[in-house]
Amino acid sequence: MIGVIFTLFAPIFGGVVYGIERVVKARMQSRQGPPLLQPFYDFFKLMDKRAIMVHSFHALMGIMYFITEWFALAVLILGNDLLIAVFFHVIAVLALVIGASSVRSPYSVLGALRELMHMISYEPLMVLLVVALFLVTGSFNIIDVLNYEGYPILKLPLVFFAFLLTIPMMLHKSPFDIAEAHQEIIGGPEIEYSGPFYEAVYTGKWVEYVYVFTFVFLFGGSHYWLGALLVIFAFLFVNLIDNSTARLDFRKMVKFAWFVLIPVASINVILLALFR
Amino acid sequence: MGFFSKFRKKSPWILHYNTGGCNGCDIEILATLAPKYDIERFGALNRGNPKQSDILLVTGPVTKNCKDVLRRLYLEMPEPKVVVAMGACGHGGGVFRHLYNVENGVDNIIPVDVWIPGCSPNPRALIDGLLEAIAIWEKKTKEKEKLRNHSDELIEKLGVNDD
Repeated sequence: MIGVIFTLFAPIFGGVVYGIERVVKARMQSRQGPPLLQPFYDFFKLMDKRAIMVHSFHALMGIMYFITEWFALAVLILGNDLLIAVFFHVIAVLALVIGASSVRSPYSVLGALRELMHMISYEPLMVLLVVALFLVTGSFNIIDVLNYEGYPILKLPLVFFAFLLTIPMMLHKSPFDIAEAHQEIIGGPEIEYSGPFYEAVYTGKWVEYVYVFTFVFLFGGSHYWLGALLVIFAFLFVNLIDNSTARLDFRKMVKFAWFVLIPVASINVILLALFR
Repeated sequence: MGFFSKFRKKSPWILHYNTGGCNGCDIEILATLAPKYDIERFGALNRGNPKQSDILLVTGPVTKNCKDVLRRLYLEMPEPKVVVAMGACGHGGGVFRHLYNVENGVDNIIPVDVWIPGCSPNPRALIDGLLEAIAIWEKKTKEKEKLRNHSDELIEKLGVNDD
């Protein structure tokens, strides 16, 4: 029941998280920052704009991104297989990529290609994370993971470390905000959306926040206080990195993911499989 | 004027375009975004994308090379939208007036709603002008807005007649 309510109100939670993030980011830059509910003001303002679309398929893919992202979160939270949730998230990002590739703007197409590079970087790590949770708890089901008596974080420190550095890739945060890159390709895949259709993409990003931080919460097992602490730590850590680093090349992101993060996570998984 | 119109004034997104000025105004705009004045506390963001912006902030006299770009940016912004001309150059050319390469101000190309005088305007003057622009923006509707002095040939050249 709590899961259903959480899933239904996920865009609202995500909006609040995004609002908190904008305030935290402003305070880290010693600014005052926008009000906490600023994402919702943006949301209502975008509702009021005239709807211009490039073509109907492009607009449909923007809305599909939001719906599929929400559906992936529902699959994740409503007690299904974690691996299936990871694969639904792939479909959500693919909707964005297909929509962005279907317009003539070079920035949009470049952003779509870079989004695929993001996917190459973080998807293996997501699968490794799910496999590691399976090795610890003995189940792919989120309810079994949340009822696990031990502390998964103690058995998976390297996987947690790798996932912590994967979050900037998934949420387009600063060292790895290659697909979004506001100063060079002005938003990448989202550049051609406007008005209500941009709003779908904007809200989809809020749902992605909830999706990612739910995975962080799973590291607490049945100890919800530990999960909450890990979520707060991950949130602040990701924002700190976001505000203190510059953007990298996409090659460096893929190399970092494949030569550093995946081996580190794999070592943890292999040791766990050998000595459990 | 529905329920959502009340929230317009809380999130004005700015598109900043320099049409060949001396960058003095642009530095003042950056100062307005920086920690001391911080217009993000009013919800304003510098988007850099015409399709998602509400306020077109133009600086500089319009040179002949970028007047079509300025027209395109104006037409790509979805209504309701406001145009703010900033600095002396935007008001009829400033020191560049009657040169062979300028169009003598923003108002000759697109209709301007708010003028911010000064060379270059203080960040406080810019914030004041943006608040004026928001007050005008709140009264606008979603009707399509046209260019000033546009001919059919120009509309054909810009490729916006089927919008």
